[in-house]
Amino acid sequence: MRKPVRRLAVGVAIWLAVSALGCVVLARDELRRLRDAFETDARIAHRLLSQRAVQHDAVLATLALLQPANTADRSEQRLPSLYSQILGVQRRDPGLSWPDAPMRDAEAQSKALQRAVLARVDLAAARYQLVLASEPASFAMQIDLRAAVPWSEWPMPPETSKVRLALEHQGQAFVLQPGRISERGWRFDFRKHLAADSQPFDVVASRQVGWSELPWAEMLAWVAAVGAAVAGLAALGRQRAGRQRAEELLRLGQVGRLNALGELAAGMAHELNQPLTAVLANSQAAQRLLNDDPPDIETARNAMAQAVEQGRRAADVVGRLRRAVERPDLSQQLATVVLQEAVHNAFYLLEPEFNRCAISPRLVASPAPVIVRADPVALEQIIYNLLTNALQALEQVPPAARDLVVEVSTNAGSGMLTVTDTGPGVPPEVLPHLFEPFFSTRENGLGLGLSLCETLAQGMGGALSAAHHRPRGAVFTLTLPLASP
Amino acid sequence: MNVPLSPLIHLIDDDEAVRASLALLIGTVGLRVQTWADPQAFLADFDRQAIGAIVLDVRMPGISGLTVLDMLIAQGVDQPVIMLTGHGTVEMCRRAFKSGAAEFLEKPVDDEALLEALQNAVRLHVKSRQRHQAGREARQRYEQLSEREREVLGLIVAGLTNKEIGRALDLSPRTVETHRANLFAKLGAESLAQLIRQYAALVDGQDGAP
Repeated sequence: MRKPVRRLAVGVAIWLAVSALGCVVLARDELRRLRDAFETDARIAHRLLSQRAVQHDAVLATLALLQPANTADRSEQRLPSLYSQILGVQRRDPGLSWPDAPMRDAEAQSKALQRAVLARVDLAAARYQLVLASEPASFAMQIDLRAAVPWSEWPMPPETSKVRLALEHQGQAFVLQPGRISERGWRFDFRKHLAADSQPFDVVASRQVGWSELPWAEMLAWVAAVGAAVAGLAALGRQRAGRQRAEELLRLGQVGRLNALGELAAGMAHELNQPLTAVLANSQAAQRLLNDDPPDIETARNAMAQAVEQGRRAADVVGRLRRAVERPDLSQQLATVVLQEAVHNAFYLLEPEFNRCAISPRLVASPAPVIVRADPVALEQIIYNLLTNALQALEQVPPAARDLVVEVSTNAGSGMLTVTDTGPGVPPEVLPHLFEPFFSTRENGLGLGLSLCETLAQGMGGALSAAHHRPRGAVFTLTLPLASP
Repeated sequence: MNVPLSPLIHLIDDDEAVRASLALLIGTVGLRVQTWADPQAFLADFDRQAIGAIVLDVRMPGISGLTVLDMLIAQGVDQPVIMLTGHGTVEMCRRAFKSGAAEFLEKPVDDEALLEALQNAVRLHVKSRQRHQAGREARQRYEQLSEREREVLGLIVAGLTNKEIGRALDLSPRTVETHRANLFAKLGAESLAQLIRQYAALVDGQDGAP
């Protein structure tokens, strides 16, 4: 009772362990994939923003380089119509200075650094100014970051993407897309300066993967698949155990039958020997009494009467024994049996024996099933016995000369099964005694196998015969009535 | 010890017909037969002194013939035991002989074989009883010897001369000679060879015993 429960527990444990392992691997794979996607998107966003920043530098540098000779020329004021992110362009005309201090500081810094610098950064409003000092006039541009983002090339849908992306600078931040950041789950982060020294903003991206984003469907499928596999393996193991058990039972059955036979013989010997002992002793005593001089006729007569009585007792024992072991009438239990299937069953049972003897038995039969009326167990026993006999015969010849053919056919309303071996065959003088009980050519044979087979075959309305097989070997033919002649 | 008129055969078998017929058969050669249906009753009551033999069936209800054989041997019963069996195996036969059976016969048994085995067994038993008897008489005589005479006998058996015995026991050779003559007379020995043959075993076996 305990074993099945333990097996079940082991099976469930294996299932859970393999399932959990697989789920962890699947989840890690998915997380890695999400991280890769996030980092790719963040890098693309960084590149696009960097390109824009560099573009701003270039526009400003071009302005400074191509200074209009005429201060009245205000052609630079046309730039905002070309670039939507440029809100406005300011110029410090020669000889003048910027009206406010931040611009003046920026110009001085720009002059020192020989590049554009930031001024009046208001990231909350997504605005900043970029100032480039040059001679004779300096230029500044007011940039709208919101318009600077190349949304058409943007790698993520800004409204629905789960990635939060912002530009940060000295504690200020401009959130390009809010993303969806929750408390639980796995967090990916990305932070990198824009690739333009003049606009040293940080591109800060983060992504929160929630539990709901794990590959639940795949994991569930995996758990189900592992469960099915474990169940399948268990079923396979059970099947194999079942087959082993069946073989064991068969072997035990054979041993049991032999033991029962031995016990029967011992019992029979005792039951018969007692009266036979009395018969013999009485008769011999009478003989001696009659040979005496003078013969003791009266005592001898009594002894003979005893002998007769004991003779009857022996006869009774034999009669009782016959009645005790009389087989039930087989013709009452007949069923329809396909001969080919019965042969396959017997092959299956004897497979280890065949392998041991290096014999591969062949079944020669028409594709149409040959259906006979027979007792399935009795039929199996006959085929099993015939095959075992053939095997034992074949063991006496070299492996190369071993051949075993079972043929199934029909003949005049009967199903025929022949077992042909290329063993030493049956000597002609033995052939007539082959089916007699207690006749055996084997050293330890009981001589009951073929006798029993013949009795069984006749009990089913069939017959069993043996013949010599040319050039060498023996052929046994079992005939049984067809189910529908 | 008075030997009865004729040897007594004990026949133990649970089957009445077998008992009666074998008893009749054995009776035809002039042997007396006592039959027993129950091995326990036999073990309890049979005459252990009588000369004879025991015929024992192996297969009996309740107690196996082989067990009865073991019990007989353990009790020191000296009658030879002939085992009878209806279904003898080599193993059973081996066990019976190892346990001390005199003969092992299969049923149905031929009269010649059974009667010859019985007569052999009886002869054997008579001989063994005679040997036993002789041994007992020798012991009785030995017990009449004095302490000193036993010492002298032991040294005689060991092969010492009178002089050597005298030296060993601190006696004069003359005294030794007297003891020697006495013990020869008490043991009824006519020669040194006979003395040694009959009493050497007793001297060895009872060395130091009271």
